[in-house]
Amino acid sequence: MSFLDRFTKNNRKELNIIIVGCGKVGTTLIRRLSEEGHNVTFIDMNRIVVDKISDMYDVMGVVGNGSSYKVQMEAGIEHADLFIAVTESDELNLLCCTVAKKVGDCASIARVRNPVYSDEQPYLREKLGLSMIINPELEAAREISRILRLPAALSTSSFAKGQAEMIRFQIPEGSPLDKKVLFQLQKEFDFKFLICTVERGGDMVIPNGDYRLQSGDIITIVATARNAYFLFRKVGLVKKRVSNAIIIGGGRTCYYLSKQLSDMGISVKVIENNPERCEELSELLDNTLVIHGDGTDENLLIREGLENADAFVPLTGIDEENILLTLYAKRVTNAKVVTKVNRINFKSVINSLELGSVIHPRLLISEMILTYVRGMRNSMNSDNIEALYHWFEDRVEAIEFRIKGDSAVIDIPLCKLKLKKGVLVGCISRDGKIIIPKGQDYITKGDSVMIVTTHTGFQNITDILA
Amino acid sequence: MNYRSIFFILGCILTIEGVFLILPMITALIYGEEQVFAFLISIFICLAVGCVLILLKPEKLVFNVKEGFATVALGWILLSLFGCFPFFLSGDIPDFTNAFFETVSGFSTTGASILSDVEAVSRGCLFWRSFTHWIGGMGVLVFLLAVIPLVAKGQSQGGHMHLMRAESPGPVVGKLVPKVRSTAVILYIIYLVLTLLEFILLIICRMPVYEALLTAMGNAGTGGLGIKNDSMASYSPAIQWITTLFMFTFGINFSVFFLILMGKFRDIFKIGEVRCYFIMFFAAVTIITINSYDKLLSFEENLRQVCFQVASMISTTGFSTVDFDKWPSASKGILILLMFSGACAGSTSGGIKVSRFIIMFKSAKNQLISFLHPGTVRKIKVDNKTVDDNVLRSVNVFFIVYAITLAASVFVISFDNYDFETNFTAVLASLSNIGPGLSKVGPSQNYAFLSPLSKYVLMFDMIAGRLELYPILLLFYYKMWRERIIPKKADSSNNLSASI
Repeated sequence: MSFLDRFTKNNRKELNIIIVGCGKVGTTLIRRLSEEGHNVTFIDMNRIVVDKISDMYDVMGVVGNGSSYKVQMEAGIEHADLFIAVTESDELNLLCCTVAKKVGDCASIARVRNPVYSDEQPYLREKLGLSMIINPELEAAREISRILRLPAALSTSSFAKGQAEMIRFQIPEGSPLDKKVLFQLQKEFDFKFLICTVERGGDMVIPNGDYRLQSGDIITIVATARNAYFLFRKVGLVKKRVSNAIIIGGGRTCYYLSKQLSDMGISVKVIENNPERCEELSELLDNTLVIHGDGTDENLLIREGLENADAFVPLTGIDEENILLTLYAKRVTNAKVVTKVNRINFKSVINSLELGSVIHPRLLISEMILTYVRGMRNSMNSDNIEALYHWFEDRVEAIEFRIKGDSAVIDIPLCKLKLKKGVLVGCISRDGKIIIPKGQDYITKGDSVMIVTTHTGFQNITDILA
Repeated sequence: MNYRSIFFILGCILTIEGVFLILPMITALIYGEEQVFAFLISIFICLAVGCVLILLKPEKLVFNVKEGFATVALGWILLSLFGCFPFFLSGDIPDFTNAFFETVSGFSTTGASILSDVEAVSRGCLFWRSFTHWIGGMGVLVFLLAVIPLVAKGQSQGGHMHLMRAESPGPVVGKLVPKVRSTAVILYIIYLVLTLLEFILLIICRMPVYEALLTAMGNAGTGGLGIKNDSMASYSPAIQWITTLFMFTFGINFSVFFLILMGKFRDIFKIGEVRCYFIMFFAAVTIITINSYDKLLSFEENLRQVCFQVASMISTTGFSTVDFDKWPSASKGILILLMFSGACAGSTSGGIKVSRFIIMFKSAKNQLISFLHPGTVRKIKVDNKTVDDNVLRSVNVFFIVYAITLAASVFVISFDNYDFETNFTAVLASLSNIGPGLSKVGPSQNYAFLSPLSKYVLMFDMIAGRLELYPILLLFYYKMWRERIIPKKADSSNNLSASI
């Protein structure tokens, strides 16, 4: 046990984190993690960048190749809790994490964006012993397809490894949810979902069975993607189903998005101006119409039916082009438009343009990593927290617990458990399936349980008991 | 330039000084001295001015490079100005210029004194004099960074580094751990532990507690204001050896102690600067011992005196056990060279620093080689790391600026019409934060005879030397004060991540 360990031991709220690569994502992570009070060391090959960033934030920089043992030692890998590799190159990231894992035995996160690897993600993760593999394009595509599927949602996020979704929306006037007491709902709707939180007039509550909803409430539900869609239809939030979509730009995000949309039965048109990429895409995507042409050509867009499209997604590599395309689409059609913006500077300007849904892939994945880090921080003393989410300006925490051994909560029907006020069992993931729990359901060994709560600092599943 | 942020930090500095002044007041109380009131008034003034400045706190603290430099420079001047009140008010040093000189000399860890009879000064004031060394050694802003979170959690804290960099010595100021605040805490812990260690060892060698404490503090900051008229000469050999050891120790880069704490003993000798420091020390000791060997004294006595003087000069402390002004001129020459070099970067010592000399020698060698082989591309490496061109340039410029400051100061002081040796070594001893020079400002003399103008020039040199020139010189660059960059509101670019 060395001096540094002892020095930091008292306040284990601070993790020692090493970040390799200072691109857009790397810099965002450095900023956010250092602001959350962690001890951040970063590694980059470019001395100028290292100097600049260590001037801007309270972090330590090391110049060198992040996959080298020597450089990692210099960055203090022996004391690191988490290693994040976000350089340009997938292979370098994987190598960095593998070395880090062997040298420092710490949790590691790698950014891997090549679709070839993305199919093998679970395998890679397990064999290389990584904690998490993130793919910004895939995440962006997931987010876009979620928005297209549930356009009325105020925000959505996924958990339990993407199997369940948390969706926040406002109950419209005259909806079947209006003036309903919660326990009636379960009888009325034949599919499963759970209302986690209700916001009314600025107050946030975790409702119990006899809570009465009103139109105008902003509620959060947990459900599988499919059931959430059913609910939206029933409540009257989905007026028209998206049945066709136009995507401009055939990058990686486009590839993932087209695949996801086709799987949902949406017909997709992709306009891409590089003929070779068009051929590649047409080989990769079966049910998609790939068109070679300039996506910024108004005539081409009209000819391909922009005016009748249900969804329009500009995904070119140039932010300005995406924004212009969105503004143009807003003029000529009522299609749902989702704009991808890579840059996060001038966000206020972009917001003032009223583009509708805007996604920042860079923020998306830094948010994912931050969620992971928060979970890690809270689970420093107990190793059964899988993830921790902060919702609504940190007023609500959602914690995923892994039930490893015997516990006071297992094998007892939930209605018989005495829970604290403001605690809700959101969902149970068992053997890869999602259970939206009711009173008769129970928690058992090996489950992963999501708890929604207004309390903070839960360390253990038994903390939910009153 | 964001004045309110600067004022806020200055307020913090004065408040801390007020708190620090409580210690000498307690000392005065213990010895039942009437100077207690001088301390009380000083504490009141510091806290009052400090609190007013703190109350002017801006909504958002902005710290860029400029603010960092300005704060450090102004902070040190203010610190010395308010720190001289106890001497002045208590009547121990009735002349304001002299009191100011003594305080500047204390905080800058120079150790040049204007007192001819140190033992006549009250114990409270003597304590404060040595305590200023301790504060000045590691730096008051580093202390500030360690104890006060200047920026609320969740905000960017990049600005802290500008403060630390402006105050800490060395061509490249790095951090030990990722956070500035943790680094500052670790530095102060090392500093405190080493000081306590010396204090305890001195007590074991039967030094009176009060004197041991003052000696340890003066030594830790590599200051060197003595508490006896003959500095350290009348103490026992054991005490002198311990002081020698610690003078040498405090000249070592503090990251070495950090490596020791981390258990990485092997890495210590990989640091070229530390190796060079050891070599310089032993070479100087050997040459001077041979050159100045006094047959009337035993070998141990000879060696002890040389070791003590060399450690004192190289670490820029300035204690003395013998009047080295009477040594042969080769020995004096070596001491002057050591005055230039100082000890390692990242220690509490002054001077140009060994690491800068290493870089300069290597760049000189490269330049010579490039005369023979035009077009040679050779990068300078220190400890197997390439030295950045920026660092190289700033090291070379530092040396030039150092030389110019030295020359200009000597010129101004020479109007007092003393001999060249006096003028030159007085300025050098001030600029390198040593204290005693040669001839009229030698170890058995003091600075009281100089004209007020010369004293102010030397004070300037002391603070400039402690802060490694740039912050103080930039104070006089008018453009630094012109531009104002103040964020109008909590601007949106900082809230990027609020929502996706």
